[in-house]
Amino acid sequence: VPVVFAHPIEAEFARILDFYRVRWEYEPKTFPLEWGPDGLVKLCFTPDFYLPDQDLFVELTTLNPRLMHRKNRKVRKLRDLYPAVRVKLFALRDVRALMLKYGAVPAVEAQPESAA
Amino acid sequence: MSPGSAEGLGEVVLTSRQIRARVRQLGRAISRDYAGQELRLVSVLKGGVIFLADLARAVTVPVTLDFLSVAGYGPGAHSSAVRLTKDLDESIVGRHVLIVEDVVDTGLTLGYIYEDLQRRRPASLKVCILFDRPHRRLVDIPIEYHGFELPDRFVVGYGLDWRDHYRHLPDLVALSPALLREAAGEIALPFG
Repeated sequence: VPVVFAHPIEAEFARILDFYRVRWEYEPKTFPLEWGPDGLVKLCFTPDFYLPDQDLFVELTTLNPRLMHRKNRKVRKLRDLYPAVRVKLFALRDVRALMLKYGAVPAVEAQPESAA
Repeated sequence: MSPGSAEGLGEVVLTSRQIRARVRQLGRAISRDYAGQELRLVSVLKGGVIFLADLARAVTVPVTLDFLSVAGYGPGAHSSAVRLTKDLDESIVGRHVLIVEDVVDTGLTLGYIYEDLQRRRPASLKVCILFDRPHRRLVDIPIEYHGFELPDRFVVGYGLDWRDHYRHLPDLVALSPALLREAAGEIALPFG
């Protein structure tokens, strides 16, 4: 089944991984981060990619750095609650460096916080 | 801005003197670890060549040199998967091999090379890198010898390039913000 990516950067990232023969899964797992008094999950986090051979989750974001606090908070919480889980956040600078390095040309713009 | 022009360059991040001193330290460490053995230094074209040339002269154990080249990902890639475009000239079966690389960030290329060489049954296989960006690592590779951890900036010189320019610079130099802005515009990613 073809994967439907939420963002063109994710599709490009998947193509790069395929090129280098690195196995990946797209959004395979959601981690609950906060629960309400009723025990229902209030906040959760679904990293974009899982690289099974590296046992590594990767989250890509093209958020403007000024809008990163919510994303950073989620990653921090995930690391606190699930210390055995390895997760790497590729912020805008990292995504840009990756795209510059590999010469990729996805037509994307910085995202508002709610969209990325 | 014309490719390779001096106006594309910003400040010096590491001087040639600092790089030379670190390369000498790496050479001493490698010479100590491989004392009494012969070592095959394998460099990845093109970026690793300048580091290899200096490192080989800083090592006191007998060394032989070999090179390989990899077709990386990009708009001009002629293949759907990573592949060697130039293989080693000599077999490494039973040899002590040290991969000499200029820079590692995601580890995607180095990971491919490491696995490929490991399958050729060398007596030992280790990695020496001069510049490292570990926070972008996607593929973990055992790295025995590190030179410098790089700041989160696009840098050129001492083998590192921008569209095949600036490799010859003796210092490690940041690209100018103007050039980066121009490049970021080309890939439609915001610069900030």
